[in-house]
Amino acid sequence: MRRGGPGARDRILERVARATGSRARHPHPGRLRTDTVTDPVATFVKRFTSQGGEVVTPDPHRTPGDWLTGFIAGLDGDVKGVAAGADVPAALQPGTPAAAPADAGAGISVAWGAVAETGSLILPSTGTRSVQLLPPVHIVWLPAGRVFARLENALLEMRPELPAAIGVHSGPSRSADIGRTLVTGVHGPGRCIAVWLRGRRTDP
Amino acid sequence: MKKRIGEYAARSRMTVRREPSVREAVTGAALSFDGKRRRAYGEVDVEAWRRWAEGVKNHLLTHLEDYLAEAEARLEANGARVHWARDAAEAREIVLSLASDCSAGSVVKGKSMLTEEVDLNPALERAGIEVHETDLGEYILQLLDEPPSHIVGPAIHKSLEQVRELFEERLGTTPGSGPDDLAQAARKVLRDAFMRADMGITGANFLVAETGTVALIENEGNIRLTTSLPRVHVALVGIEKLLPRMRDLAGFLQLTTRAATGQSIGCFVSLIQGPSIRPGDDGPEEVHVVLVDNGRTDALLHEHAWEALRCVRCGACLNSCPVYRQTGGHAYGWVYSGPIGSILGPGLLGLHEAMPLPFASSLCGACGDACPVRIPIPELLLAWREEAQRRGLTPWNERIALAGLARMAERPGLYRVAGKFGTRLGATALARKLPMLGEWSRDRVLPRPSPRTFREMWHGGIE
Ligand code: SF4
Repeated sequence: MRRGGPGARDRILERVARATGSRARHPHPGRLRTDTVTDPVATFVKRFTSQGGEVVTPDPHRTPGDWLTGFIAGLDGDVKGVAAGADVPAALQPGTPAAAPADAGAGISVAWGAVAETGSLILPSTGTRSVQLLPPVHIVWLPAGRVFARLENALLEMRPELPAAIGVHSGPSRSADIGRTLVTGVHGPGRCIAVWLRGRRTDP
Repeated sequence: MKKRIGEYAARSRMTVRREPSVREAVTGAALSFDGKRRRAYGEVDVEAWRRWAEGVKNHLLTHLEDYLAEAEARLEANGARVHWARDAAEAREIVLSLASDCSAGSVVKGKSMLTEEVDLNPALERAGIEVHETDLGEYILQLLDEPPSHIVGPAIHKSLEQVRELFEERLGTTPGSGPDDLAQAARKVLRDAFMRADMGITGANFLVAETGTVALIENEGNIRLTTSLPRVHVALVGIEKLLPRMRDLAGFLQLTTRAATGQSIGCFVSLIQGPSIRPGDDGPEEVHVVLVDNGRTDALLHEHAWEALRCVRCGACLNSCPVYRQTGGHAYGWVYSGPIGSILGPGLLGLHEAMPLPFASSLCGACGDACPVRIPIPELLLAWREEAQRRGLTPWNERIALAGLARMAERPGLYRVAGKFGTRLGATALARKLPMLGEWSRDRVLPRPSPRTFREMWHGGIE
């Protein structure tokens, strides 16, 4: 049921129409042309890491799951349990014991893609949002070949089939609200690690 | 928050005299934001970006009824519910009735100036609902029962020492704790609130008409949690916050963050289309969007106030403003402070209610140059001043005193010398000779100064 005072919608729209009818209509200026990105992968790595994100290339001689198990064992802070998003295939999950997102030391996701110009990972809500947000470390498989040069390209590609929500993560959680000093891991993950996933190349 | 706009002169004087720590903290933070913005603007063809953004918002505002209808239809198709509020009271009633529908006992909130504008928190608390502000700065202010003093950095007027003392007393942190430990203490309290909350309430940076996407920019992750964990998400959206197309959003997300904090984009951006109704999606079962007018159609109908509705609330005009940097936001006595507050106030509240804000500026022009959507803030301030003078809305001596405060804020040393001459020369002639007012005063007539200098009035009491 729609809330609001009786006739609120019509009254607002009527006043808006009166205002727009009283002045010249401005045309849309078209597209904003942001800078050309010549090497999306290099630009993504540069931007994402400058924002505090980390980018890792796994050992190609091991299976992704094995490599990830070892990688997690080597993380600071002794990660006891991990939570994986609903859309992470078994082959990309580590052998580390599973835990609920709120208790896990690390969350594992698969990115839909990445954006070079802003250094961002794109995470749809089909991948379990609590896994993307609650654990202190977020490990994100990033399919190589799905790095879009510009944010606009990525959003337009997603547009026909938008999930309920999309998270655009461009580094770890941070704040400078206390005495202008930068602190990380305030609410969301304090580490955000992108891991190249090769062999499933689909060029954007 | 009770409006205390009329006390601007007295409160700004009090802040400068009695609370030097505010000026120190605000000036430091604002100059740091401003420096980062300049650097981030320098990395792109910013003039082209700003002209583009101005054009998109002008297009939106001159076709707003179509885009509002499109956004509503899209959101409903996505499974979200849309509600319309003409004023603050209706906005509060809508949220309260949604809270009662889901028997909400506890609410988490993402930082939202609109919820401050409509005074939402006290209404929720009166209804017996626990409210947790989850942005770290907002959380600090909630503990202190203070309103935000800056659109982007709500607690920039607080020093590390003040937060340390507060957390020691309220959260039991150890004396001498550093920012990391203090943030972790707050995280712990708020994590518990997130896990328990029945409802998440946010504002919105943008609402894309084409896709029904509510877009929210942040750095901490608290807004992502607020819009992901509770069963119900309510977003309050000013009707001017729309964007026509998804393609426009890509540009606005980047330009807004460059203007606000100098980042290429916020650490987290949430793009919310609706509730999780498709298989495999997780997140809230209900998403409600409350479209709020509360004075915006008045501004839209006004011959010049409508231009202020392009505002994306980046705070760049505050950071660049020498007057704001002296006092911080509280002196302005209203939710929106600094240059944007001084032009939005008359537009949303009516000029009478917003006096003397249009006079709280030196017209130095820095705000207009910083604004990512090219709102001609100094011109709008001047237009409001002229209207105020025409309508006889402010006493002559107050006008002069505020003009003096503004100019002194900009160049105290210079003003000390200039002040004496100014009383004899007439302000316009004086301003032409002063470098900081040169550009602005060229085609403008400033009010004639008082026979007493501002410094004399300042020390003797302005009234
Ligand atoms: S008026 Fe311009 S600079 Fe000021 S907050 Fe709004 S968009 Fe930013």
